[in-house]
Amino acid sequence: MQVQLGRLCLPNPILVASGTFGYAREMEHLVDLHRLGGILPKTVTQLPRPGNAPWRTVETAAGLLNSIGLDNDGLDAFIAHHLPYLRGLTAPIIVSIAGRTPAEFVEMAAELDRAAGVAGLELNISCPNVTGGVDYGTDATSCRKLIESVRQATQLPLLAKLTPNVTRIADIARAASDGGADAISLINTVLGMAVDWRRRRPVLGNVMGGLSGPAIKPIALRCVYQVARAVTTPLVGIGGIATIDDVMEFLVAGASAVQIGTANYYDPAVTMRLLDELPGALQQLGASSVQDVVGTIKRVG
Amino acid sequence: MLSPLHAAHYADAAVQQRAEIIENVCLARDTYRVRLRSPIIARRIVPGQFLMLRLTDVNDPLIGRAFALYDTVLDGNGEPTDLDIVYLAKGKLTARMAELTAGRFLDAWGPLGNGFPADPIEHLIMVAGGIGQTPFLALGAEFLGLRQYGCPPRKFPPSKRVTLCYGARSADMLAGVDDFQRMGIEVHIATDDGGCGHHGLVTEVLQSVLDSHPGPHRIVCCGPEMMMEAVAELAQRRGSPCQVSLETPMACGIGICFTCVAKIKDADGGWDYKRTCVEGPVFDAASIQW
Repeated sequence: MQVQLGRLCLPNPILVASGTFGYAREMEHLVDLHRLGGILPKTVTQLPRPGNAPWRTVETAAGLLNSIGLDNDGLDAFIAHHLPYLRGLTAPIIVSIAGRTPAEFVEMAAELDRAAGVAGLELNISCPNVTGGVDYGTDATSCRKLIESVRQATQLPLLAKLTPNVTRIADIARAASDGGADAISLINTVLGMAVDWRRRRPVLGNVMGGLSGPAIKPIALRCVYQVARAVTTPLVGIGGIATIDDVMEFLVAGASAVQIGTANYYDPAVTMRLLDELPGALQQLGASSVQDVVGTIKRVG
Repeated sequence: MLSPLHAAHYADAAVQQRAEIIENVCLARDTYRVRLRSPIIARRIVPGQFLMLRLTDVNDPLIGRAFALYDTVLDGNGEPTDLDIVYLAKGKLTARMAELTAGRFLDAWGPLGNGFPADPIEHLIMVAGGIGQTPFLALGAEFLGLRQYGCPPRKFPPSKRVTLCYGARSADMLAGVDDFQRMGIEVHIATDDGGCGHHGLVTEVLQSVLDSHPGPHRIVCCGPEMMMEAVAELAQRRGSPCQVSLETPMACGIGICFTCVAKIKDADGGWDYKRTCVEGPVFDAASIQW
């Protein structure tokens, strides 16, 4: 069940996505946290952020549109208050960080490098709900430079989480790979909107938001498939994964691991069921390890 | 400013399970009571706590919805076995829920949130607007000393009087009035159209209850935000202790999505967004930045 993401070794490929699992303590009695392949706490920014005004989420057909706005208490509070709990778990802790400038990313990475109990960092260069930060996920050159600078600031393995809201995601993924990312997480949410026509208003307080859930799974699979053909860097699939079939689809399409996101909201024990079902699904393909099935999708035509 | 490590009320007593529908009956216009078999949740839940419900095996509607406990149902030995939830069928999920019959299932997780504190008081005044009466049947029963909730059961000296001030749009929207009266709860009704009880606002009814019963009391309130704000203001003006149960929209109910935030005052005179599901839903009215 073990998987290798560059320099980062994980006990299994079932991770929980940043922003969909709180700081893990919330889930202590609903799942066995120690069984998870990796935990990504809610994205941390250098300074506290109150987050966006409500409404912050709205359900759409088979999806959820959110604009939380990186509500968090900042890096110092994270290290002082959340990390002590997280480092007591056996699951690897991959800290998701977002900066407005390369300097912020670098400073946060350096600080987390000195903190005990961090297995890796995921660079959130793809949140659609804040200003600044997202450029590193939409421009190949700034993406590469950012990851290069963060690599120099820390020995921790780095994941780059990319946005699907670009014309050619493979270009950005190549830049992340060239910059030295250990793995590429695909995808963050898809920019969307909901409208209340009777009141002639956007539903979300922040007007636009990021779409997640089963509605975006085909987009995420397409991104994994395209990027798997462009880089050799390991990929982590994210986007609407809720069943073991979803997990297997991502692995076969080219992801070495997956992150479960929105499904945690509506099916809190989902990860435990996926972990129970994974060995059987691998066996159906005659595979004895996760790596045996990664990227084995057949070329058609 | 650093936040404390933990929210006050994580889902530490919650379980996720598929619960059988025992019955699903219409109580009033667009208002239903669903009875779910769940001995574990029924044993643990206290008034003011809630659970999340979701249709089984569908992706649309995708997200669960939060529902307050209406009451628990006991078996012949006095053991809680079922949960009653009263809901308004007005959205994608609740409209589908209203069509479900006995023998079908709902996915449920709970109990969630803090619930109303078990602090004894001579006179408990419950103020409800719209579908906001739902947390108050069990609370009233508990404060009258007729029922116990929680594991181990919460025990405290009963109140001398429990009053419900209940405002609705029209008489046909009033749901469960008989249940409250049967329990010995004094019910005062206000309707927007004057079809039943006082023609006007529930705050006017509350005002007259406060005028005629000046003794030690506490106000608890649940309903539309504007109404809760008005009740909180009235309570403050009259120096009455007041707690409100917020109905902010939730996506998970367990503290992981940060959807259900409300502005809660902090010690230094400012405010911070707090998650209603794990810090509430019951708050001191004075702590809320309306």
